[in-house]
Amino acid sequence: MAELQTGGGDSGGKKRAKKQSTRVDMTPLVDLAFLLLTFFVLTSTFSKPKVLRMIFPEKLKDPINQKVPEVKNGLTILLTENNRIFFYNGALDKNTVLTETDFSKDGIRKVLVERNLGLIKQLQEFEKELDKIPAADTAAKSKVLAKVKDAQRKSTLVVLVKTDDKATYKNMIDMMDELLITQIAKYFPVDEGFMPLEKTLVQNQLKS
Amino acid sequence: MPKVKMPRSTPALDMTPMVDLAFLLVTFFMLTSSFRAPEPVIVDPPTSTTEVQIPKQVFLATIDAKGRVFIDITNNNVKIKVLKKILKSRKVAQLSEEDFKKFAGLGPIGISVKELATFMELESNERTAYSEAAKGIPYDTSSKINQCELYEWALETRLEAHNDFKEREEEAKLKNMEFDKSNYIQFAIKADGKAPYKTVQSIIAVFREAKVKNFQMITGLESSPTN
Repeated sequence: MAELQTGGGDSGGKKRAKKQSTRVDMTPLVDLAFLLLTFFVLTSTFSKPKVLRMIFPEKLKDPINQKVPEVKNGLTILLTENNRIFFYNGALDKNTVLTETDFSKDGIRKVLVERNLGLIKQLQEFEKELDKIPAADTAAKSKVLAKVKDAQRKSTLVVLVKTDDKATYKNMIDMMDELLITQIAKYFPVDEGFMPLEKTLVQNQLKS
Repeated sequence: MPKVKMPRSTPALDMTPMVDLAFLLVTFFMLTSSFRAPEPVIVDPPTSTTEVQIPKQVFLATIDAKGRVFIDITNNNVKIKVLKKILKSRKVAQLSEEDFKKFAGLGPIGISVKELATFMELESNERTAYSEAAKGIPYDTSSKINQCELYEWALETRLEAHNDFKEREEEAKLKNMEFDKSNYIQFAIKADGKAPYKTVQSIIAVFREAKVKNFQMITGLESSPTN
């Protein structure tokens, strides 16, 4: 026991056999225990890192002869230096005008939500349906999930994400995250980067 | 007036419960904690709002801001098998069994297999310094694709991951035990947020050549938006 040995002893008189104390000084033990405790608390990793899944198609052997899918409702997002982003709707031609936006809540997310509102509302409906179904009823659940897949497949909005040499990895991940948050069903990171016309358009925007 | 005599008491305190508790906590933390693997490079991954946890077993490619690649495989058996295959195909002398075991425990490495023999001879503190100054796994694909070391690592790991999965499945069947299907080696990328995306893209391109399509991008946690 942690105990101060207050001196003294009996002031004379009969001599008794000294009573041996069975108590052990625990202070060093406690010190050690807490030292170890602190060590383990500080070194242990509790939360495992989270991951964002990205799936890339296999490399095409013959990219020239591939059929180009028809895109009716396209949105192209261009990521460039200093965390700046531009986007344009539909196909690229001489009259295309770039709009600048940013990674804030009222920036690109607002744009994506507006464009994807139809699908978002549908998905919310399905979620409500799912909440009503009891957990044991897996058949009904998979039925709703099939509906979700179908709605996602029918969604016409296609988002292309293009980057130039100066865009950082963080920009790309932030962009992917926004696409996940806004529940875009079809989005593709484009390997080839900017097209020549896009490059000049972005250059003009950066200069001004 | 008589003097007030303060009772001479010793400030004793029964510490037993406290010690009990302290050791209980120590035991708890000792048993639950997994140590952070030694990392030759410090990368600061970007944050995202996903809540998907990292798979149990991964082939981890760490990319730092300068574009150096360090790789690690969390399954030691597979790691040794893959290295043996690469050494064989590149006609580099095999290491001793002991060195293979040591290699498996080293954590992420970022050196060419040609340097491996010299690397293994170093003392552990020299090794850390060597790793920090290393150039990373070469991933230049300008010559033939199977000359690229990163490609070989990715390809062999993909094949071995499949073998390893099948082996464990059969073993579980023989012993009549439950088999954990989620325990498949997957490809994870942990890149620094400041790294140019182009660099990451060209590294992913190497993996895609090896027919790896599914990537787990490791990110820090960010609170998800409300609404």
